[in-house]
Formats: sequence, structure tokens, C-alpha cells
Amino acid sequence: MDAVLIIQSLISGIMMGMVYALLGVGFSLTWGVMHVINISHGAFGLLGAYMAYSLLQYFGVDPIVSAAVSVPLLFLVACGIYQLLIRPITRAQNVVMASMILTFGLAIILENVMAIIWKADPRVLTPTYSSGALILGPFYFQYPHVVGFGLSLAGITAIYLFLKKTYTGMAVRAAWQQPEAARLYGVNLYWISMITFALAVSTAGAGGICLALLNSFEPHSHNLWLINLFLVVIVGGVGNVIGTALAGLIIGVITGLSMAFLPFLWVNLVTFGLLMIFLIFRPHGIFKQEGI
Amino acid sequence: MINKLYPAAMAILAVLLAAFPCIGPEVYYLSFLFSIFMYVILASSWNFIGGYAGYISFGHAAFFGIGAFATAKMATMLELPPLLTMLAAIPAGGIAALVALIVGYPCLKIRGPYFSVVTLCFAFVVDLAVKNIEFLGGAEGLWIKFMDIPEKTSRTIMYELMFLLMVITLAASWFLGRSRFGAGLTAIRSDEEVAETMAIPTAKLKIQAFVLSAFFPGVAGGLFAYYLGYIHTDAVFNINISILIVLMAMFGGGGTWLGPIIGAVILTVVNEGLSTFAQAEIARIIYGALFIVVTIFMPNGIIDFFRKKDGMT
Repeated sequence: MDAVLIIQSLISGIMMGMVYALLGVGFSLTWGVMHVINISHGAFGLLGAYMAYSLLQYFGVDPIVSAAVSVPLLFLVACGIYQLLIRPITRAQNVVMASMILTFGLAIILENVMAIIWKADPRVLTPTYSSGALILGPFYFQYPHVVGFGLSLAGITAIYLFLKKTYTGMAVRAAWQQPEAARLYGVNLYWISMITFALAVSTAGAGGICLALLNSFEPHSHNLWLINLFLVVIVGGVGNVIGTALAGLIIGVITGLSMAFLPFLWVNLVTFGLLMIFLIFRPHGIFKQEGI
Repeated sequence: MINKLYPAAMAILAVLLAAFPCIGPEVYYLSFLFSIFMYVILASSWNFIGGYAGYISFGHAAFFGIGAFATAKMATMLELPPLLTMLAAIPAGGIAALVALIVGYPCLKIRGPYFSVVTLCFAFVVDLAVKNIEFLGGAEGLWIKFMDIPEKTSRTIMYELMFLLMVITLAASWFLGRSRFGAGLTAIRSDEEVAETMAIPTAKLKIQAFVLSAFFPGVAGGLFAYYLGYIHTDAVFNINISILIVLMAMFGGGGTWLGPIIGAVILTVVNEGLSTFAQAEIARIIYGALFIVVTIFMPNGIIDFFRKKDGMT
């Protein structure tokens, strides 16, 4: 096996893993802070990708620029969804289960609305620089991949800084670690939940745009995205941002290597098999540290 | 009063359903009821581990698929005559139960959503393995020989067999809900640590429930394989089936006898009705909205909702 080819697919895998990490961070936060497993997370990512696609196709807006529009828009939509749908089910006996059923319904609705608006054909984001490539010695990286990778790295850093440095971010962390104590110290849990949910959905949109720069997408792609999300979040540890990012890299390396050495159909088998074994031995993620 | 009438009503309903083919209905109705019976079996047997014990498995379609492929493989390899193939569904269920024993041993140590994810991965691994291994059918799938009898007769036989399996599954579910075994499982769901301190052998009960809940879908899968005549991984390992089973049980109310039955019947009828009367995408949107409405207004399932109304919480 050619060493250049191996390194090439390794780096492609890492880029892919980073994008999944950005998608996964929000998923991990809603799960950790609110005990809501958002099955429609991937579908919201796909919505971001489709919005970027339309803006690019009809108005020639670059995906990076359109992210600045669609991400705040998704933030507002998510606030509404939280009020209407998520808040009522926090009374259920089993919030995790109820949230999974509800967001599963939401994912079906989103998928089919997208299928009606954008049709079921596979789409690709083709910004002006899509044919260009960054050539570093023997290696070759398409610009959209580089941009997607850079954007997701920036996104994860932004979320990390938000949680570590801002007051609201610290309140989110407090609500995650000790909800009752946080409430006693004057943290409004209701607001924190809404912000967490909206933040998660809007980062899903950003992640969706990044992923659309790397891969083609169609209305049912979110199912596959969701499985990769679970993978990244479980390996990284629920609620752990740095862990999620590292898990993205690890899974990227595994996918990259198995793509270089194995026939295409076996790649997923290896990934899921590994995750299963991983879950059995380390169900709470690779990192001992409990925290964001 | 209601408690005494209840078994009698059930028995009358069962006799009526068993006698249904005698009035010579169209094949469509036989097929429709066949699929309702199948989903009732799947949802009710999922309920053993998912409902009573609270271990939400997202990979139950894997056992259904294993049963289907094992039956098809036995039928093609041993060149069994058609009627024996149907009996091959029983050892196929055994194979599914054996797989459940092997997989369940490590997996049932994991709790909560992590268990759900590991079972989800298990379903994918089985699906991809069958797709990639030529011996098990590969990407092309397997064909099973049909019986040399008119379609209506064969459909009637399939109908009665699936009905019989449903009755057995529901009887098992009924006794399980009223036994020490069932009580132990409910204790696990309420609080596993406490259950353990009360000397309930949690590990043993969980694995028994898991194996039992894999056996019935395995047999149902075998019958389904025969019913289709051609079996492909996408038809039986589809992740949507796994999710649908969970939704049916939770929709009706997990951990009760009646809940999964009601959930399976309602969702199958709604699915069928929507696909007949509405455009595909619109139908799916209405279907999705149904889940949202039910979770918001009946977060603990339909059964729980009506029980509260009657004031018998």
C-alpha cells in the first residue's frame, strides 16, 4: 500500500471526523444538560445544508456567508420549537424516551418537508472555489473540504469558549453538573434549557453546511448523520465538548484507515463493530474527566 | 366485573379472528391482518425487555431478520418441502434467541441510553454482515420455494400460523406480567440497585427476558420470510422496523400487557390508511405529527392516559 495514499485518506478521515464533531457537540449538550436525545438533530443539520444550497444556487451567496444567516435563523426557530414541543414533555416520567419519540416525529416531518421543497435528488454544494485544490507536496486537498474543516474547527472552538468564558456558558455547565444547586444560585433553568437547545440546533445547521461541503446530501441523509453523531458523542462522553472533538478525530482516523485498507462496504461494519465493543467496555466515553 | 369479562372478551375476539378466513374475505384483508399480527408480536415481545425491564432495545429488528434469514437458509440448503419450511421458523427463532444470549451477556451490563445505542449498533452490524457475507445471502437475498396451492389457501395458512404465534406471544406476555419473573423485571426498571440489594438476581432475569424477547420475533421473521417468498436484508433489517417496534410499544404504553397491542394495531392501521389515501410525503408528515401530538398529550403512552381518566392510577 502506497504511503502517500494512506496519509491522504487519513487526513480526509480527520477532516470528516472534525465536521461530525461540530454536528455532535450540540447533540451532546442537549443530551447532557436537558436529558433530551434529539433524533431530529441531523435533520436540522440537513436543513442548514439545504438553506445554504438554495442561497448559493439562486443568489450566489457563498456557504460561509450564508451560515451567518441560517445559523441565527435556526437559533430562533429552535427557541420556538423548545417552547411549543420540548418544554411540555419535560413532565414525562421518562424524559429521554419521550424526547426520542417526539423528535423522531419531528425528524420525519422535516425530512418530508425538505423532500417536498427540494425534491429527493442528491444535491452538492458547489461554491466558486469547488474545483480548486490545495496541493502540499504529494498531498491534494479540495478547497471545499479545507473550508468545511476550518469552519467546523472554528465552530467547536467558539462553543468551547462560550461554555468556558461567558456567564451564560458557565450557567449551562452548572445546570448540567448540579441542576438543583444551580437553581439555588439563581440560574434560571428554563432559560438555560432553551438556550442550550437553540444553540445545539443552530450548531447543527453550521455542521450541516460543513458536511454538505464534503459530501452530497439528500432528504434522508440525516439518518446516516445521526448514527455518526451517536458514535462521536458516545466515544467522547456525553456533554463533553473537548471529548467530542477528540472522538471526531479518532473516528476520522479509524474511518480513514479502514477506507484505505478495506472494500467500501466493510468500512461501516468496522466502525459500528468497534463502537459496539467500545460501548461494552467504556460506556461513559474515553475520558475519565466528567465535565465540559 | 370488568376483570372477569376481560378474558372472556379476549377469548371471543380470538375465536372470531381465527374463524375470519372462513367467511372468504379478500386476500388483501388477510395480508393486512397478517401484518397487524406480526407487529403485535414484535411490539409485545420487545415489551419483555423494553417495557417491563426498562431496557430500551433499538435493535430488535435484528432478531426478526436473523429468524427470516435462518429460515430461508435452512429452506434452501436442506431443500425442505414448503410445509416443513414453516416449521423451520421455530429453530430459526432458537437461533435468534441464541444470538440474543451471546450479545445480551455483555450488552445488558450497560444501562440507559447507552444500552439503546449499543443495540442500535448491533442491528447495523448484523445487517452489514449479512449483506457482505455471501453464504448468508449477500446483497442479492434468498428465494424460498412457494407451495403448489392457490394463493388464497397459502395466505390463509400463513394467516392462521401468524395468528397462532401471536396468541402464544400474548399468552407469554400475560403470564409474564403476573409472575414473579415479571415483578422482578419491573423492580429492575424502577431501581436496579435497590432490586439487587433485595436479592433479585437482576443479571439472570435481564438475560432471560432478552432471550425470550428475541425468540418470538425470530419465529415471526421465519414466517414472514416464507410469506414474502424472497428475503432481502433491506426488507427485514431495516432500521425503521427497529424504531417502529419501540414506538409502537411506547406509544401504547410500555410495561403493560395491552399497551404494545394497542400501539401496534393503531400505528399499522394509520400507516396503511395514510399510504392508501394521501400522497407519500404528506402521509409521512401526518405520521410524524402523530408522534409529536401523542407524546405531548400522553407522554406516558395511551394506556396510562386513559387509566388516569378513569381514575385508576
